Amino acid sequence: MAAESLTSERKGEKRKAEVVVHLRATGDAPILKQAKFKIAGSDKFLKVIEFLRRQLHRDTLFVYVNSAFSPSPDELVIDLYNNFGFDGKLVVNYACSMAWG
Amino acid sequence: MAAMELCSEEALRYIWGGAIPLQIHLHESEVTTLPPPPPALILGPRIGYLPLLVSLLKPYFSSTLPPGVDTVWFDYKGLPLKWYIPTGVLYDLLCAEPERPWNLTVHFRGHPGETLIPCESEDNVKWSFINALKEAAYVINGNCKNVMNLSQADQFELWQSLMKGNMEGHQRIASRLKLGPIGEDCTLKTGSGQPRQALGEAETAGSSRVGRIPVRLYVRNISQDLDDFDEATAVDSWDSISYINRPVEIHKYEGHLLTLRTALKALLPEIFDDETMPDNQIFSKEEGCQVTNPSFEDYETPNSLRNVEAEETSIISDSVVLSKKPKVKLIRIQGIELDLSIPFFWVVNNLMNPDYFIHICVFTEASPSQVLVR
Repeated sequence: MAAESLTSERKGEKRKAEVVVHLRATGDAPILKQAKFKIAGSDKFLKVIEFLRRQLHRDTLFVYVNSAFSPSPDELVIDLYNNFGFDGKLVVNYACSMAWG
Repeated sequence: MAAMELCSEEALRYIWGGAIPLQIHLHESEVTTLPPPPPALILGPRIGYLPLLVSLLKPYFSSTLPPGVDTVWFDYKGLPLKWYIPTGVLYDLLCAEPERPWNLTVHFRGHPGETLIPCESEDNVKWSFINALKEAAYVINGNCKNVMNLSQADQFELWQSLMKGNMEGHQRIASRLKLGPIGEDCTLKTGSGQPRQALGEAETAGSSRVGRIPVRLYVRNISQDLDDFDEATAVDSWDSISYINRPVEIHKYEGHLLTLRTALKALLPEIFDDETMPDNQIFSKEEGCQVTNPSFEDYETPNSLRNVEAEETSIISDSVVLSKKPKVKLIRIQGIELDLSIPFFWVVNNLMNPDYFIHICVFTEASPSQVLVR
């Protein structure tokens, strides 16, 4: 069973195929030229982490949602958006050293 | 139903004492001695994580390992095991039919890289646990200040108590987080009095919502026409399991009525609806075509069982045509197949993991059309 088929049907929730992710640098992490981008809701959070690693050329990165917690890399972007997103986007913070434990 | 305790100490003791007998084999490519070492027999706590067993396994196997640097990982029938999922959840999900002892393979070399995030140390596990706890707190309170405000010493004690299975120690610290217990109406009983931090439009629009319960769902599809879970083929890829994180949202006045069944229907309307999971058993007994899963029938009354069995053949052939939804075969929480009419607040207070998530394994059986499109 494809994950998309499970996430697209839920009643009363935004049926977003794509989620806007807003990337915010924290601490001494470099700021990206493009801070907002779209990602498929059916993608895992791992994809966001890998994107940041490639962009910043770093293997070790600490990636958080809402300056609060680091989700499991397996979590679907659409679940994170539905649970923790606001103003139509999911805020993802990244740091080169541990920021919020 | 007799009055039910909000929180049963006995249930909590079962959760904390729950362990899976493991028979852990060293992978043959890492055996350099003859005879090969016998498998290690260990009780793996359900609420624990596999890498926490390494301190026991390493001395046991170290004399036979080839030279090299350790990156320990485990597999079950070739499937690399995600170390950040609690051991009990892995077992419930991957062993459709409980296997005792559970035969796992440990590897100290040759980490599969891409398909599995490496666990380099116990600190990785602690980080993962604390972040799951923070995520749960965020779902419940709209922020995770309570977890973030724990002192380093308290955070350390919380983690140590989990590693050592020290329930009292855990409760002493966890009670300060004010994340539970919830009352019969499924709202927090701790009376922290903190206003919930606004979460944006969804929040302001739906102000009738009074609470959210963090849930992680693992949905596994079992191929059709299996009478026996023994025959279920092993999971060969994590892609075949849907991992879904959705809170149960409690609305005003609705919490008192909430059963596990209604909570599951709200979580997974794609799977649980009135066709696949009848709300009203009397109705379903009369209208046989509504019943697609005999396991949800009332086991206490043999009559209903007989009814279902008698009607089963025709029901299944009908549902193949009528319903494109997968059928629910089994639901497991903490290794238990629960009666779906159990009040949801009891499930939350007593069956959640120490990370404050309820981990629910759902086994479905796809209809033939779904098997084709897969």
